[in-house]
Amino acid sequence: MTIEIPKRTYKGAIRTITLGAGDKAVTVGGETSLPFYLFEGERPNPPRIAMEIWDMEPEDWPEHALEPFKDVVHDPALWAKKCVEDYGAEMICIQMISTDPNDKDVPADQAADTVLKVLDAINGVPLIVWGTASHEKDTEVLKLICEKTHGKNLAIGPVEEGDHKAIGGSIIAYQHTCISSSPIDINLAKQMNILLGNLGVSDEKILIDPTTGGLGYGIEYSYSVMERLMLAALTQEDERLQFPMINNMAKEVWKSKEAKLTPEEDPLMGDPKRRAITIECVTAMLLLLAGSDLLIMRHPESIKIVKDIINDFMAAN
Amino acid sequence: MIVIGERINVMTKVLGNAMKTRDKKPIQDMAIQETEAGADYLDLNLGPARKGGPELMKWVVETVQEVSDLPLFLDTTNVEAIEAGLQVASHDHGKPVINSISCRPERMDALLPLAKKYDAGFVALLLGVDGIPRDASERGVLAAEIFHKATAEYGIAEEDIWFDPIVLPINVQLQQVQACFEFTEQIPYMAPNGKSTCGVSNVSNGSPNHLRPILNQTYMIMLQKQGMYSCIMDPMDEGMMEFARGGRQDIVNLIYRMLDGEDVNPDDLNEEELKFYKTVRVLRGDILYSDSWLEV
Repeated sequence: MTIEIPKRTYKGAIRTITLGAGDKAVTVGGETSLPFYLFEGERPNPPRIAMEIWDMEPEDWPEHALEPFKDVVHDPALWAKKCVEDYGAEMICIQMISTDPNDKDVPADQAADTVLKVLDAINGVPLIVWGTASHEKDTEVLKLICEKTHGKNLAIGPVEEGDHKAIGGSIIAYQHTCISSSPIDINLAKQMNILLGNLGVSDEKILIDPTTGGLGYGIEYSYSVMERLMLAALTQEDERLQFPMINNMAKEVWKSKEAKLTPEEDPLMGDPKRRAITIECVTAMLLLLAGSDLLIMRHPESIKIVKDIINDFMAAN
Repeated sequence: MIVIGERINVMTKVLGNAMKTRDKKPIQDMAIQETEAGADYLDLNLGPARKGGPELMKWVVETVQEVSDLPLFLDTTNVEAIEAGLQVASHDHGKPVINSISCRPERMDALLPLAKKYDAGFVALLLGVDGIPRDASERGVLAAEIFHKATAEYGIAEEDIWFDPIVLPINVQLQQVQACFEFTEQIPYMAPNGKSTCGVSNVSNGSPNHLRPILNQTYMIMLQKQGMYSCIMDPMDEGMMEFARGGRQDIVNLIYRMLDGEDVNPDDLNEEELKFYKTVRVLRGDILYSDSWLEV
């Protein structure tokens, strides 16, 4: 007796979005079924991982996170270059931490210089630029970065309701891709994409950032919202939600107490490096199963493990 | 649709002050306005009324009854204030109604005897020990529980029970908007002589102000189709009153056709009809709500 496995067909599909320009450009999205349900639909582009760098030397990273990069963290360009050349990064994400108005408050022109140097160093690998979610400062910094990198098709974010007109305008004018960000809320995610569409951002230029909660710090909310976004896109054919999703997850992973605790502080928590990498891997897997197309990750070892799993999942086709 | 006027509320600045200083005029003015606007009942919302609740309720009931014949909803969480109100509330034009009794044992034990003793109606608020029910079935369980307790244990008549299935905002509780809609249809099966009521405008709580009327109107008509008996609402809202009084049959027919499963073609609709069409679609969950739902 043969058993027929029930299959569902989906009417909707996620759009394909290309990031970067030139022969190293990366395309994400295009799936026509729930995540890795390859028996029900297509997934022409596997989920991708962008390696995270900061625009300044980190002060609060645990030793084991810093270790792979300790020779380059003083220089974002060298750091990015190492990610590409030594760890094979297909994409880089630069976090503009130094521009935080409540901290170092580095001015926009200096921030833009840093981004230009990083771009030079990575030789065509696509770049994501992530601001500090301060509407006023991000407007200054991200607008200038858009202008100085005309035509490079960077992914620029987070673009939120409060700054979408100013930043979105520059993204359109200088031909970049917009990271549409909303605070873990499905209705607001849709609303943001409607607003961006009204502004004139092309449907080929939007990624959804649903906002990422950390493992043990609210990831279940992100999971649930992402799952529903995916279902609305595929089964309700909701055109304003058919965009690939990006998760800025590394900073959520590595700022948690559990990723930082030393054996002296808590001997029962096991080897700190292995623990933190495990947390990063588990976080990544949860987000991939919820429908993520693009993860921002930090540790080379976590990235290797997650890439292997993605390859296995995709090969099961 | 029976209309319960919601405007006499301690939370509003003018009337809150008037209640505190025992100034009859603003309260009576409001009662007259609501009555003239066509309300069928007046809700007297005193909030928690922790201090001096019984005296306040007695005073507000007498104050309103001096200028309006409408039967009253006594709306407070203070049990003694409810009893004080019941002692003076008139039955001449309809029974007074306790607003509300939730399905928590201590609330039912304290308030159901009062409904029986004073021959009053009561709003059966479908809120249990675990809070707001998650879906239509959990609403059903709570409704059965309070219905059984009220009728079998206390001998309260079915027609004195006003089930409130709890309306929640579309922008945070999408599934709850559908659950409330779905459950409302079951009320007449469960209690053929029972009544129902709801705070319909809560559906648009948090939505942009200028878009709230169409959400409220559409949801009211959707609930009416399911058998909703009454709404606690603003009788001075002319748009809502027109619908509540059976006006706008063109729009009502459109909504009913959609709810009956007819495949309405949006290309055949005029601009106004299209707005109601889109609103039914978001309230029913066909498409995901966003503040710009009318524009897409």
